[in-house]
Amino acid sequence: MLELSQQAIFSGLLVGSVYALVALGIALTFGAMKIINLAHGELVLLAAYMAYFIESRTGWNPYAAIPLAFAITAVVSIAVYLLIDRIKLHRELNSLILTFAIGIILTNGILLVFASDVRSTNSPVLQDALSFHTVYAMKGELTAFVVSLAVMSALWWWLKLSWYGRAVRAVSSNRDAAMLMGIDPRRVELAAFLVAGILASVAGVALFTMSVVQPALGPALTVKAFVVTVLAGVGSIPGVFCAALLLGVTEAMTVTLASSALQELVGMVLFLLVLFFMPNGLFGARARRG
Amino acid sequence: MTRRNFLTSTLIAGFAASFAWSPVASAEEIQVGSHMPLTGSLARSGQSFREGMLVAVKMYNDSQTKHQIKVTLIDDETQPAKAVGAVEKLASDGAVAILGGYGSNIVGPASDTANRLGKVYITAGAVSEELVQRGNKNFFRINNNAGYLRGFEGMVEELKAQSVSIVASTREAPMLLAKGLEESLAKKNVKVTLHPFDPAITDFKPIINKVKLQDKSEIIFMSAYENDYVGIIRAAKVLKPGVKLISGAWSLAIPKMYQDFPDLMQNVVGTTPLPYPVDMKDAEGQAFVAAFKTMFNKDIDYAATLSFVKTMVLCEALGRAADAGTLKTGGLADEVRKTKRSSVLGPIAFNETGDNPNFTLAMGQHREGKIVLVSPAEQATGKIAYPGLPW
Amino acid sequence: MVVKNLPGILLALAACLIPLVYGGNGYIMGLMVSGLIVAGVALAWALLGNLGGMVSFGHAAFFGVGAYASALLSAKAGLPVPLSLLAGGAVAALSSLAMLPALRLSGPYFALAILAYAHIFKILATELSWLTGGSAGFARFPVLPTIAGIDFSSRIGSYWLLVVMVGLCLLAYRAVKASHVGTALRAMAESEDATRVVGVNATLLKAWMLLLSAFITGLFGAMNAHIINFLEPDYAFSGTWSVLPIIAAIFGGYRTILGPVAGAVAIYLFDQLVAKAILPVGHQIILGVLLAGMILIAPNGLFGLFGKKKTGAAHAAA
Repeated sequence: MLELSQQAIFSGLLVGSVYALVALGIALTFGAMKIINLAHGELVLLAAYMAYFIESRTGWNPYAAIPLAFAITAVVSIAVYLLIDRIKLHRELNSLILTFAIGIILTNGILLVFASDVRSTNSPVLQDALSFHTVYAMKGELTAFVVSLAVMSALWWWLKLSWYGRAVRAVSSNRDAAMLMGIDPRRVELAAFLVAGILASVAGVALFTMSVVQPALGPALTVKAFVVTVLAGVGSIPGVFCAALLLGVTEAMTVTLASSALQELVGMVLFLLVLFFMPNGLFGARARRG
Repeated sequence: MTRRNFLTSTLIAGFAASFAWSPVASAEEIQVGSHMPLTGSLARSGQSFREGMLVAVKMYNDSQTKHQIKVTLIDDETQPAKAVGAVEKLASDGAVAILGGYGSNIVGPASDTANRLGKVYITAGAVSEELVQRGNKNFFRINNNAGYLRGFEGMVEELKAQSVSIVASTREAPMLLAKGLEESLAKKNVKVTLHPFDPAITDFKPIINKVKLQDKSEIIFMSAYENDYVGIIRAAKVLKPGVKLISGAWSLAIPKMYQDFPDLMQNVVGTTPLPYPVDMKDAEGQAFVAAFKTMFNKDIDYAATLSFVKTMVLCEALGRAADAGTLKTGGLADEVRKTKRSSVLGPIAFNETGDNPNFTLAMGQHREGKIVLVSPAEQATGKIAYPGLPW
Repeated sequence: MVVKNLPGILLALAACLIPLVYGGNGYIMGLMVSGLIVAGVALAWALLGNLGGMVSFGHAAFFGVGAYASALLSAKAGLPVPLSLLAGGAVAALSSLAMLPALRLSGPYFALAILAYAHIFKILATELSWLTGGSAGFARFPVLPTIAGIDFSSRIGSYWLLVVMVGLCLLAYRAVKASHVGTALRAMAESEDATRVVGVNATLLKAWMLLLSAFITGLFGAMNAHIINFLEPDYAFSGTWSVLPIIAAIFGGYRTILGPVAGAVAIYLFDQLVAKAILPVGHQIILGVLLAGMILIAPNGLFGLFGKKKTGAAHAAA
């Protein structure tokens, strides 16, 4: 039982690191703009298909696809922002429906271009197994974990130290005050969507190397990421990271201790419990009640 | 105000007029309808179904001059209501029979509708037992859960395996097969452990680790779909449980899986009617392979084969009924019921519920891009690699 | 009065004319039946959105619960189908009680919390296989009955039944909107704090709207179950039942009463007869473009465009 649990915790941490990458994109745009981008999962999926495209055409390591993936997700992400920006009425809810519609468009676009086949990396290096004592992982998963950690640390530093980072935090804590201080919130929001695009491109490539992708995956990714965002509470990158790892481990432990059929159930119940009883999330600072 | 109402009424009038209707029927041809999931979650199977059907119709039409069969195909989008709508449209357009789709929850209501309209409905993609317990006299199917079950069960017996771990998706068909196997293998004193999983799962290591540390089985059987197979085998490759064989159900022992995931498929065993490269012993099978290659420039696959056989069976029955002049008077169901033929899927004959009790699939093993039939012994084209694993 | 009700009268006329023209065509009638089921759910969704101020991404939860409840009650408890349909709606409303805590959440959080419920209900339907048949599905339950010589299980029969049901739900919606409750809800949409001060219990009113919306959705879920006659969790709780009504209601205008209904039938027919002909694979992309376009250009829907003046007048009157 101990060995089972060790592996479950380890697997959960690795999966959680990718959840974190996906979730951070949603959390960032939400922080800056109070808008939940329901097309973010599709953005990640788009990047994953770019990785497939590069790997199947050139045989290179899928991580070589990050520049291409980033170029595409950045363009789409900015387009999403510009469209959202046009909404004047009931922005919070109408943007939800707008990004949802963009998600439908992207999902079907991917389906039209790449067909409904399942795709995943064929790189022998990434598929190799590694073991530490009694726990095992694919090299691709460990790579994803390291990449995720690196990207998050970089983002954390950026938000903490750069002018843009401070502006993002200023706008997300008080938009009007930030404006009075001479910060153009639209520039900041644009920056947030651009960074969300970077995060999506890395997350997509990581997903392709450690898991299986298919066109219908987008909404599931978005939901998972939203669950993480809620668990984390708004406002901190380490919070998102911890919440994502927690969700990954909880899911893996559910499979180990109970039944794998209940994995999704536990995630959803956890989500609702935190939503109802811990309005600030597990690690957050602000309330979300209406 | 009036302007708005004018607009509204124009809109409604235009909307009502926009779907004028004109049924097309031709006297010389026998009209057959078909609904298949060309899009939606079962699109892959649906596309193969379509190809197998088209080849069968072409071969039948070329084989004789008395009857020409024309099929109209509608995409049911993997949705029951649309399949029902499709059957109604096809019937109202003059189809005398329906070549059915894929998935029990879609075939069920669609065949109910066909029955109500007095049309014969034949399928090769719905395994639920409920379907043949309805007393629907116009319903026929080529394959069933029992056939997949027998294929795997036979192999377990031949290998004298004592324990099996079943990793099964909680979707309809995979769960049905998994539950059936759990029951029938237990009767043969094989130790079975069932691991049902939610279709949303992507990391299978926690499950495989249970197989490794708790079940300690000899065989892993995956009752699932393509994306799950990839995830499960990958997890197994990482954890390397002490099993001797990794096996699974449909859409696994197919050439495409090896082409897409060569590192994962070596020695994996799945249900299949045919070896690969295809080696047809009978003339019909050879003709099928050749015609398929000409029409689609690729090799036949499993779903296409199923669809080919069901379409052939229907075409021949249609020919017989037309000859006897009973096509318009409800004689088609009787003619289908009289079917007794061999096929690339083995002998085909229907019982009173419309099921084909002879249906059994062989087990094929991926071997360096080829698929070798390894069980049952009398159909085998090679000896099974056992223990044989992808790592 | 007549002029004011003209769109409704025209819709009712169209509903009567369609079976006269296309009654013999099972395909068109089948599409109409499916379209009307989506219309019922779209109406329920819009009611929650318009009166309750809540956007839901999980109406599939109520749809599935209503479907299973009615199928099980009619098959296992022997309840006559007309009663089991109502019971389906009632059970769906009951299930919405579990969502009451979500009412205190703000917009986007509520929308996605309901989605979580839909997921949970679907997994429960899969896991409680002793009751629901699990993922193998559940098929042997009665079809719509024949009453007074009308076979409601036929396309025409179910069409008329659905027209009447949609009509009744429309009237109920209108009555609620015109009542004090409706006035209070509209005021609440303007400013929740202000209404709280004058003694309106916002959460309680929202709860009633959620209950009503769930009841209507469950009712149509139950209807659909008895028309299709096969249930499995993936189908009964399919995301389609959450998504199509949103598109339909937005397209028709979710702030109007008739908009969602007209939008649902129009969108469904457009998707099946036009979009599918243009793009056999992936034609939902057209719906996506349409939805995005509507939100950007005409967030009040097509009916909203025509009805702009009227809404203004109604507000003034209120």
